[in-house]
Amino acid sequence: MDKCIVTFLPDNKKVVVDRGTSLLSAALTAHIHLNSSCGGDGVCGKCRVLVKAGKVHAEPSGRISPEERKAGISLACQTLAESDLTVEILPESRLDLSALSREELALRLRGIYAPAEDVQEARPGLAQEVFAFQPLVEKFYFQLPAPDFNDKLSDLERVCRAVQEKIGEAPLHTGLANLRKLGELLRASSWNVTVSVAAKGPVYEILTIEPGDGSRKNFGLVFDIGTTTITGQLVDLTQKKVLGTKATYNRQATFGSDIITRIIYAQAADGLEKLHHAVVDVLNEMTESFIDEHKVDLNDVTCVCVSGNTTMIHLLLRIDPSHIRQAPYVPTANYIPVVKAAEAGLKINPHGALYCLPGVSSYVGGDITAGVLSCEIFKSKDLELLIDIGTNGEIVLGNNEWLISCAASAGPAFEGSGMTCGLRAVRGAIQAVTVDPKSLDVKYTTIGGDKPRGICGSGYIDLVTQLLAAGVVDKNGKLNRQKTHQRLRPSASGYEFVVVFGPQAGMDSDIVLTDADLDNFKRAKAAIYSAAALLVRHMELNVGDIRKVFIAGGFGTSLNVESAVFIGLIPDLPRERYAFVGNSSLAGAREVLLSREAAQACDRIAGNITYFELSTDAAYMDEYMAALFFPHTDASRFPSVRY
Amino acid sequence: MAEELKLVTTWSQSVHEMQLGATRQEGGSRKAALTVGGEGALPFLFKEGALPHKPLIAAEIFDVPQDDEPEALRRDLKGISGDPVSWAKAMIADAGADLVSLKLAGIHPDGANTSAGQAVSLVKKILAAVDRPLIVLGCGEAARDNEVLPLVSEATKGERLLFGDAVQENYKTLTAACIADGHNIIAESPIDVNIAKQLNILISDLGMPANRIIINPTIGALGYGLEYAYSIMERARNAALSGDKMLAMPFICFVGQESWRAKEARVPASESPAWGDAAERGIMWEVVTAMSCLQAGADILTMRHPRAIKIIKSEIQELMKRP
Repeated sequence: MDKCIVTFLPDNKKVVVDRGTSLLSAALTAHIHLNSSCGGDGVCGKCRVLVKAGKVHAEPSGRISPEERKAGISLACQTLAESDLTVEILPESRLDLSALSREELALRLRGIYAPAEDVQEARPGLAQEVFAFQPLVEKFYFQLPAPDFNDKLSDLERVCRAVQEKIGEAPLHTGLANLRKLGELLRASSWNVTVSVAAKGPVYEILTIEPGDGSRKNFGLVFDIGTTTITGQLVDLTQKKVLGTKATYNRQATFGSDIITRIIYAQAADGLEKLHHAVVDVLNEMTESFIDEHKVDLNDVTCVCVSGNTTMIHLLLRIDPSHIRQAPYVPTANYIPVVKAAEAGLKINPHGALYCLPGVSSYVGGDITAGVLSCEIFKSKDLELLIDIGTNGEIVLGNNEWLISCAASAGPAFEGSGMTCGLRAVRGAIQAVTVDPKSLDVKYTTIGGDKPRGICGSGYIDLVTQLLAAGVVDKNGKLNRQKTHQRLRPSASGYEFVVVFGPQAGMDSDIVLTDADLDNFKRAKAAIYSAAALLVRHMELNVGDIRKVFIAGGFGTSLNVESAVFIGLIPDLPRERYAFVGNSSLAGAREVLLSREAAQACDRIAGNITYFELSTDAAYMDEYMAALFFPHTDASRFPSVRY
Repeated sequence: MAEELKLVTTWSQSVHEMQLGATRQEGGSRKAALTVGGEGALPFLFKEGALPHKPLIAAEIFDVPQDDEPEALRRDLKGISGDPVSWAKAMIADAGADLVSLKLAGIHPDGANTSAGQAVSLVKKILAAVDRPLIVLGCGEAARDNEVLPLVSEATKGERLLFGDAVQENYKTLTAACIADGHNIIAESPIDVNIAKQLNILISDLGMPANRIIINPTIGALGYGLEYAYSIMERARNAALSGDKMLAMPFICFVGQESWRAKEARVPASESPAWGDAAERGIMWEVVTAMSCLQAGADILTMRHPRAIKIIKSEIQELMKRP
C-alpha cells in the first residue's frame, strides 16, 4: 500500500502512515494527542486541524463552516491522507497532557480550591487512624538461625517459620523463581535476609527475598484512574507517609471522553490494546518520575493499589469490557484477585503485587467502594449520602446497616465536554462567576488566575445560578429573548449569553452560554438529583433524613454549595450537612494500601452495597422529568431557594 | 345508587375557578360569563367536596375549510362549515354548545396563509354573531402564532377570551398578550404531569394569575392513548386537590380534534364492513372519548359533531345531578 509522510506542526513531528489513514490516527502514531470526545466519529468537532500542504480526502462535517473548509480547516478524524502532508494542529485541538500544575492538584485533592496549598505536604487523611496500620505488603528483616543437625528444617520452611511468627499461621505461598535462588541467597547473605510478604485475602505470599536488611525500604503506589484524570501517590509503607502526589489526564481521552465511547473503541482492531497502553503508560511515567524525585529504587516499590470505575479497571488489566454496555450489564469481574503488577504491564518490582479495589457492578466501581470506605458511611449510625459527580454520577445511600447505590448517566457537561465553551478544570477555566442582576456585568475567577479559556463545571453552576437570579434564564433553562442587552444575542443554534467578550479573553471568539448548553446542563443536573432522590424514595425515606452528604469528584472541589442547591443539583439540606471530600477514591485506595483491615473492610463494603438499576425503574423517568426544571418542578423540595 | 360511597376523602384545596367571557359591566360584550373549575373533589364525587360548575362543551370550528374532514362530519356539517360565523351560530343555537373554539388554521404559512387582519376581523365577526365566550387557537406554527395571536388579543381586549396554546418552547409572547389584554390562556403539555406543572410555573412567573390558566394535558382518542391522558389528568387533579397550587387549574380536552383523527372514525363502511356505519362510529368515538375525559376531570371539552355534543350535554346534566 502507498505510504504518506505526514508532518505535524508546530511539533514538526513526521510520521509515515498508509495512504487513507485518518489524520487523527496519524497524530496518535506521532504521539500527538488530540481532543476527541467522540472517539473519531466526527461528531464532537474537537479535533480540528489545518492542512497546509498536500492532498486529503475530507468527509463533509457540520462542525466545519464553509469558510473554514476553504481555509483548509478540517476534522482530523474525518480527513484521510492522500499524499504527503503538512498539518498544523490548532491549539484548541491539543489534548494537554502535561502534568497538572500544583494549583490544579490542590483543586483535585483538597476540599476547596486554595492555590497556595502544597498538596505534597498536606498528607490528607493520614492524621486519623481508622484502621490498624498494616500495609498490604510488609517487609521483615530476619537473622535466621543457620541449619544444623538438630535443626534440619528446609530453607523455605525456615523462612516460612520466621514469617509466620510475624503474621500468624496463615497459608503462605511463594513462586518458583524465589525457590530457585533461595539456597544460595540464604548462605551468601549469612542467613540475614529481608522478606516481603503480600496479603492476598486470607492467604499470604512471599514476593521477594533479598540479602541484608532492606526492611526500611518499602514503598507503595496508589492510583485513582478516573475517566478524565489519573491521580497517583507514592507512599512510604514503613513510615506511613505520602511522599508525593501527581495528577495527569487519562490519555484514553483521545479515544473518547466517556466510558461508553471507549468500550466501543475497545471493540475495534487493536482498540483494547491501545486503551490499555494509554493508561499503563501514564501509570509507568508517573511511577518513574516519583522514584526519580524521591530517590527510590524501583525494586523497593512492592505494591500498587488502584481504584477506578469498572471500565477503567477492565482496561487497565486489558480485560474486554464489552459486556459492561450490553444488557444485562455484567462485568467480567467486580472482585479482581491480587495479581502481579508486571502482568498488567506496570513497572515496579517484578514480583510486586497489584490490588484493584472491588467494585459493585458495571457502573458502580471500586472508586465508589473506596469513597464509602474513606467517608466511613459504612460505620455511620445516621443516614449518609455520597455523590460522586462526574460523567457518570454515582450515588451511595446508607449507614452501618445497609448501603444502596446507583449510577446516573449525567453526561460530561460538568466536565466541560459537550458544552460550546466547556473546559475541564484546568488553568484558565472559569470556575466562579458573579453576574450583576441589573447591569449583567460578569465577574469571574479562573483557575490559576490565567486568561479565561472556557468554563468548567463549577463555573457553569455559578453562571446558571446567577443568570437564573437575574432573570436572564427562566426556570425552564431558556435564555430570555425578551431581554435586550448586548450580552444576549441570537446565535446559529438559538440564543446565547456572552460571558466574556473575545478580545478580553485573548481568544478570537467570545465565551458564550447557549440554549443548547443550558439544555445539556439541565439534563446533567436532573440526572444526578433524580437518581439521589429516587434512591431515597426507593428506601421509603425522606431527603431530610440524610444527616451528611459527601460530594466527591474532581468537579466537587470548587463547587459552591449555594449554587449547587440553587440549580437543584443537590438536595436542599442545612448547609452544615455537606462535606466536600475531593478525591475520595484515592483516599480510600491509600487506606487499603496501608491497612489489611481496610482492604477487608473494602471487600465487605463492595459485597454489602446493593446495586439499584435506574434504567429499569418506572419511577426514574418521572423523577427525571420533574428534575428537568430549575430548581425542580416541585418547588417545595427546595424551600430555601427563591427566584 | 344501591351501594353508598363509604370511603370519603377530605381534600385540602380546590381547583382554581376560571371565568370565561366578560359582560358589558365587566368591560366586555358577552351576554353572560361562564365559569369552570372550582372542584373540591374528584369528578362527580359530590360527597367528597363541592363541584360548583358543570363541565362545558366548546364547539370546534375552523377559519378555513378543512380538506381532510371525515365523511360523517362533512355530511352533517354541510352548509355551515364553509362559513365560520354561521357555523359558530349553529353550534350554539342548534347543537347546544356552551361556547365556541375557533382554530385559526388558515394563518399557517404553509396553508391558506391568511393575513392577521383577516384573523382579527373573523374573530370580531364571531364575537358579534354569538354572545358566548370564545376560545381562539393559533395554527401551531410558533412564529406565525406569535405574530397573529397578540393582534387578535389586543383587538378583543377586555372580552376575557381563552387563547391557546402556550407550550414550553413558546409561551412568553402569548402570555404577555393575554396578561395585557385580560384574557385567559391554555397551557399545553405533552401528556406529562411534570411539564404541565413546569409550564404553569413559567406562565405564572411572567405575572399571569393562576386562575387565568387552563391545562391542556393533551389527550389521545379512544384507542390512541386515552388511558395515558386519563392517568395524567388523574395524577394532576389528585395533586391539585392535595394542595399543589401549580396544578390546581381546570382542564381543557380537545376531544373532537383527536376523536375524528382516529382511523375508526374515518374509515368508510365500504372499506371495513364489519365496523358498521361510519357516521355512527365516528360519533360514538367522540362520545366515548368525551365521557372518559369527563371522568378524568375535564372542565371544557372541545367537540365537533352536533349529535355527539347533544349526547354529551345530556350526559353532563345526568352526571351533575347531586344524589
